[in-house]
Amino acid sequence: MALSSDFLPWPKEHAPGQFYTFPVGGSVADFGPITRTQNPMVVGTSVLGVKFAGGVAVAADMLGSYGSLARFRNISRVMRVNDYTVLACAGDYADYQYLHDIIEQMVRSKLNPLWNTILVGGYHDEESFLGYVDRIGLAYESPVVATGFGAFIALPLMRDAHEKNPNMSKDEALTLLERCLKILYYRDSRAFNRYEIAIVTKDGATILPPASCVTNWEIAHFVRNE
Amino acid sequence: MSIMSYNGGAVLAMRGKNCVAIGGDLRFGVQAQMVSSSFEKVFSMGDHLYIGMAGLASDVQTVHERLKFRLNLYELREGRSIKPNTFMSMVSNLLYERRFGPYYIDPVIAGLDPITFKPFICSLDLIGCPMVTEDFVVSGTCAEQMFGMCETLWEPDLEPEELFEAISQALLSAVNRDALSGSGAVIHLIEKDKVTTRVLKTRLD
Amino acid sequence: MPTVMEDCVGAIQHRFSPYSFNGGTLLAFAGSDFALLAADSRLSEGFGIHNRNAARLHKLSESCVLACCGFQGDCLSLLRILEARVKMYKQTHQRPMTCPAIASLLSQLLYSHRFFPYYCYCLIAGLDSQGQGAVFSFDPVGSYERVPFSSLGSASAQLQPLLDSQLSSGVQLSASQAEQLARDVFVSAAERDVYTGDSVQVCLVSSVEVHRDSHSLRKD
Repeated sequence: MALSSDFLPWPKEHAPGQFYTFPVGGSVADFGPITRTQNPMVVGTSVLGVKFAGGVAVAADMLGSYGSLARFRNISRVMRVNDYTVLACAGDYADYQYLHDIIEQMVRSKLNPLWNTILVGGYHDEESFLGYVDRIGLAYESPVVATGFGAFIALPLMRDAHEKNPNMSKDEALTLLERCLKILYYRDSRAFNRYEIAIVTKDGATILPPASCVTNWEIAHFVRNE
Repeated sequence: MSIMSYNGGAVLAMRGKNCVAIGGDLRFGVQAQMVSSSFEKVFSMGDHLYIGMAGLASDVQTVHERLKFRLNLYELREGRSIKPNTFMSMVSNLLYERRFGPYYIDPVIAGLDPITFKPFICSLDLIGCPMVTEDFVVSGTCAEQMFGMCETLWEPDLEPEELFEAISQALLSAVNRDALSGSGAVIHLIEKDKVTTRVLKTRLD
Repeated sequence: MPTVMEDCVGAIQHRFSPYSFNGGTLLAFAGSDFALLAADSRLSEGFGIHNRNAARLHKLSESCVLACCGFQGDCLSLLRILEARVKMYKQTHQRPMTCPAIASLLSQLLYSHRFFPYYCYCLIAGLDSQGQGAVFSFDPVGSYERVPFSSLGSASAQLQPLLDSQLSSGVQLSASQAEQLARDVFVSAAERDVYTGDSVQVCLVSSVEVHRDSHSLRKD
């Protein structure tokens, strides 16, 4: 069947109820000047989050990549929203800065998205909260979350750690995050060794001062392309 | 619109205890239009060997005839009937010769070894990648539906009559949820000393 | 025909799409005095699993439950609106909305987005005003019908013919038989569909209560 999805303003792979044809010039959205992000520019890579007994921690490294260029090497991607909420953000950095002003506008995008994936950590009524939201509005809660490349590299490690120790302490959670950030730095070409971690407990939300992964590149000398 | 679903059709084979069954629907259509309700897609290739093909109807017939030709030459040269496994290679070979201009069919083979009578079923993709399984194989426009049915109805070591019941229920329920296949079905139950062929009725819309 | 957007952007593109597919399979039966819903709990995207414990069954009233899958962002948004409308109805009319009325409302909500649809496959199940089990099956733009049983979502093609063969002869299942059948067919679905698995949530709506249960499925 010839779907007239050629005229859709989004790629064809998702046509709800595949048999339906959309008329030409539907009221979806008129093509016009593009106002917000249609492709990201300065981007941050993975962000990670984990719950522990009595709180939650989220982490992100401090690199803003411009394509393959490590453009900004000391930018903060975690944010303290209020006394009991923190947020970490992957994706376009300009959009993240915009989010400082208005967080609520990240609703069902009118084909005009903020190109970010956001982790929210919080603590309320004796319970920790950890949630994930992406640019199209996919949202869920989970005791461990990771975005981007971290979802492939770090998430299995974090799920494993959480399965073996569902009630980990704050220190265990921080060690886990640091280990994952280090592994990401080794394997993700858009990651960086300088990072920030934010934690929320009953005592409030804090962003720990920036720290660096201690890494060992000795083994790199053994890797050769032959 | 994929050329693989231009005419529609469904073929299914299942393994039982010392027997195999293969069946196909009878519809021949052009997209949503019904043309014939007596188009057989499952062909005998020997005493205990059948091949079923779902896909583009003209290719089904062409491949059937070209296979029959190669099979006759093989049996003339060797002076014995072909083993199902060897026949699978023959089909695979024929299809891969057309790697860059393929026949648009998904074949399914079912048979018993001519010497040992060991059951054998397999399916191939349109360029001849074979897959031998121990349970069931499906192909056609309602493959998903057939998978769902077979996954619950099939169990190991079904006796011939149980196998016939299972494959019939699976095929009929599956084609009834597909607009591009149905209009009756044929099932061949292959045992050591006999082949039972039954024609099943389904809804014709 | 290249669109304006394609002209604007460079060679390598992850062009923005407002949709994604997060998998999930739904199932519902209507009995003589109950309705049973089942849904798996895997939230996936492409080859990745976001969450193994996602909720797809949402209680809307004491006699009505919504099951929803497809694009989870749209499901959340739709659910929020539907819950608000059900609450507003209750406050205006001083009585809970009936299951068929909620179904009609959902149809209108879906159709009001006819040209930018909610990418949601919905089932509404519960009890009608006579106390009989009712299942309503929807498509993403709001066509709906009342059916004795239905399956929707990523493994619906596998489940639906099976339900036909088990139920179309007019057999009336008891609640426990229905629950057993639901669990069995989800085990089969998890076997062949990568977007179905982790666990199946079962929800029984009867005149007494809305009872929930969970059973594990394969996790690979």
